[in-house]
Amino acid sequence: MLALNMRRLLSSLVWIAVAALGATAFALLALSRGESISAAWILCAGVASYAIAYRFYARFLALKVFALDDRRATPAERLNNDRDFVPTNKWVLYGHHFSAIAGAGPLIGPMLASQFGFLPGTLWLIAGVVAGGAVQDFTILVLSMRRDGKSLGQMAKEEVNSVAGVAAMLAILAIMIILLAVLALVVVNALRSSPWGLFIIASTIPIALLMGWWMRSVRPGHVLEASAIGMVLLLGALVAGQWVSRDPTWSRWFTWSGTDLSFAMIVYGFFASVLPVWLLLAPRGYLSTFLKIGTVLVLAGAILVVLPQTRMPAISQFVDGTGPVFAGKVFPFAFITIACGAISGFHALIASGTTPKMVMRESESRMIGYGGMLMESFVGLMAVIAAATLEPGVYFAMNVPSGVLGTTGDSAARVIAQWGFTLHPGQMEALARQMGEATLLSRTGGAPSLAVGMAAILGGVVKGSGLALWYHFAIMFEALFILTTVDAGTRVGRFMLQELGAHLWKPFGRTSWYPSIVLSSALIVAGWGYFLYQGVVDPLGGINSLWPLFGIANQLLAAVALCVGTTVLIKMEKQRYAWTTLVPLAWLAAVTLTAGWQKVFAADPRLGFLSHARVVARGTATASSARLIFNDRLDAALALVFMAVVLVVIAASAREWWLVLSRRKAPTVNEAAFVPSAYAAGD
Amino acid sequence: MAAGASGIEGGRAAAQARERPVRRSLGGLLAVVRQIVGAPDYGRYLVHHAACHPGTAPLSAREHYLEFVSRRFGGGATRCC
Repeated sequence: MLALNMRRLLSSLVWIAVAALGATAFALLALSRGESISAAWILCAGVASYAIAYRFYARFLALKVFALDDRRATPAERLNNDRDFVPTNKWVLYGHHFSAIAGAGPLIGPMLASQFGFLPGTLWLIAGVVAGGAVQDFTILVLSMRRDGKSLGQMAKEEVNSVAGVAAMLAILAIMIILLAVLALVVVNALRSSPWGLFIIASTIPIALLMGWWMRSVRPGHVLEASAIGMVLLLGALVAGQWVSRDPTWSRWFTWSGTDLSFAMIVYGFFASVLPVWLLLAPRGYLSTFLKIGTVLVLAGAILVVLPQTRMPAISQFVDGTGPVFAGKVFPFAFITIACGAISGFHALIASGTTPKMVMRESESRMIGYGGMLMESFVGLMAVIAAATLEPGVYFAMNVPSGVLGTTGDSAARVIAQWGFTLHPGQMEALARQMGEATLLSRTGGAPSLAVGMAAILGGVVKGSGLALWYHFAIMFEALFILTTVDAGTRVGRFMLQELGAHLWKPFGRTSWYPSIVLSSALIVAGWGYFLYQGVVDPLGGINSLWPLFGIANQLLAAVALCVGTTVLIKMEKQRYAWTTLVPLAWLAAVTLTAGWQKVFAADPRLGFLSHARVVARGTATASSARLIFNDRLDAALALVFMAVVLVVIAASAREWWLVLSRRKAPTVNEAAFVPSAYAAGD
Repeated sequence: MAAGASGIEGGRAAAQARERPVRRSLGGLLAVVRQIVGAPDYGRYLVHHAACHPGTAPLSAREHYLEFVSRRFGGGATRCC
């Protein structure tokens, strides 16, 4: 009894210390004005908050809200087929789930949002994940796990109603198109006029083909061996790229314009969707998974070793909406720009996809669902740190489109001086030489500036190692991430289109019928390819219009997931806990609807699509102005569709809540029947 | 099903106990890496097949690999933003 009390006391003391550390870190971050602070405080604030949230809030969700029960067999145990349903050790599954959810999003969003300073992004990444993103991932994982691994769309249809089901389907398809377009745009902007970068990424294609052939024909199924070979070749390409960039003939071959690159991406995406998976998709997927896990670990270690100082302001003057990287005030646009890392609707697809079929014990879903998302938020904080350690002048010189900065270092320095930041003459040219690039001015999209930040941190660990090598390593890492998403996303979109098309014409739904594969792949690629191309030729840089649309679409999907979660909680007669999903839902609805409304109707032509179209229409009519007007209207229509889908899903769900709460409808859920588990309970 | 699962574990443990400790821990590490990155484990499949579908011929290594990747990458979202 005494020992138990001692342990309790000790545990309380430890948690009080963690809370105090976190509070100190937040106080330091909030009170630092103008002076540089150590990035360690950003990490402290994050890690202390994650620990407390995981220990107390996630435990509350697991025990009280979902009442997780280890005596109940999971689908992995009941339906074990050693293929998709496999009971998996929780640490292994944690790694597996994390590498599926984490992509380029949590790296790019915080980088772009740093125009507001590092504080808004830091606070939103931490608060958003604890109360929103991790709750969403955990809820959907538990719901799907209790329903034999059903997908989000199926659950929306069965637990809410068919209106919500159709809306979920549309939301997924829409987010896929916009997501692929904007991610492809990030890659195009990173590889534009960069022979070194393009050489590495181009060489991943023959490397993947070689790996694919090896794993299929030479040593069937030897993925680790083929990945090791691929990794060595990839690092070889990284080093060889420098030579390519210095050789006049070779560098000319690999210097491509944005439009050429966008066509190459479109062709590549089409083939990745049409070819058998073993040839291109699977080897690229494995290569990128290894690179992802390795780089995240190395970067986290490097930040801890170097503990860089911040140079960006905590809060910049651009919170008022005059920001040059993208338009709009800190509310709602910081919360739209950083979607992944704080709350990402896309995760609901993973949490209702492969992961729920592999959970061994119900209680382990807390660590995988809630804990996995905390890790993604941590990755987001690393991007915040990489951004915060850049000099503000360099950050804006890299992330603001040339339409604003002009095309020379001098013109950029003049514009940036008006904002109160300094860019020394020749600074950008010197930086570009250091990084082995022709120019770093207006390299929008976030990837190049992230790579500069990462190179500074990683180069700080290994003294004397070439910054140019680290810069291109970071570019390779980001581009490979994104291309894997483009591969997989195009394919998923193709399957969804075939499923939808089957309602119109039966044979279209045959997923292995070649004419249908080619047609549906072409339609999906044309969809995102259109937005990609328009983004590349957009004088404002494309990111300004596409990234907010992507954020809105991603948050919209999160709203759908939270509606499904709330509905199930109410039907489980857990309505007193429904606030756990209702609060983030209300916040997301406020954010997406405000942002959507402003993107469509704001009077500022930099922000509102329609007012921009009006400004263009007032100028001389040319072919390009007609195209700009059409695209503005298309983007506006898309934002309106997104808003309508949010409202429809919320209304459809609210109707169900009312029916159940007013006892007009019986509170029944469609959980799989209880089967006792053979695994011993507990850890 | 549950008894089959524990039978597999038992069979694997016995097979591994016969190997040398170093090789065993390396093999265990590789198995963990395979699971994390979502790579197929043909040896594990053979054990599963022998335990759960006795008397039928198992897939060849190549057939197993092709089926595995087409399931894993063929449909559904496996990658996020």
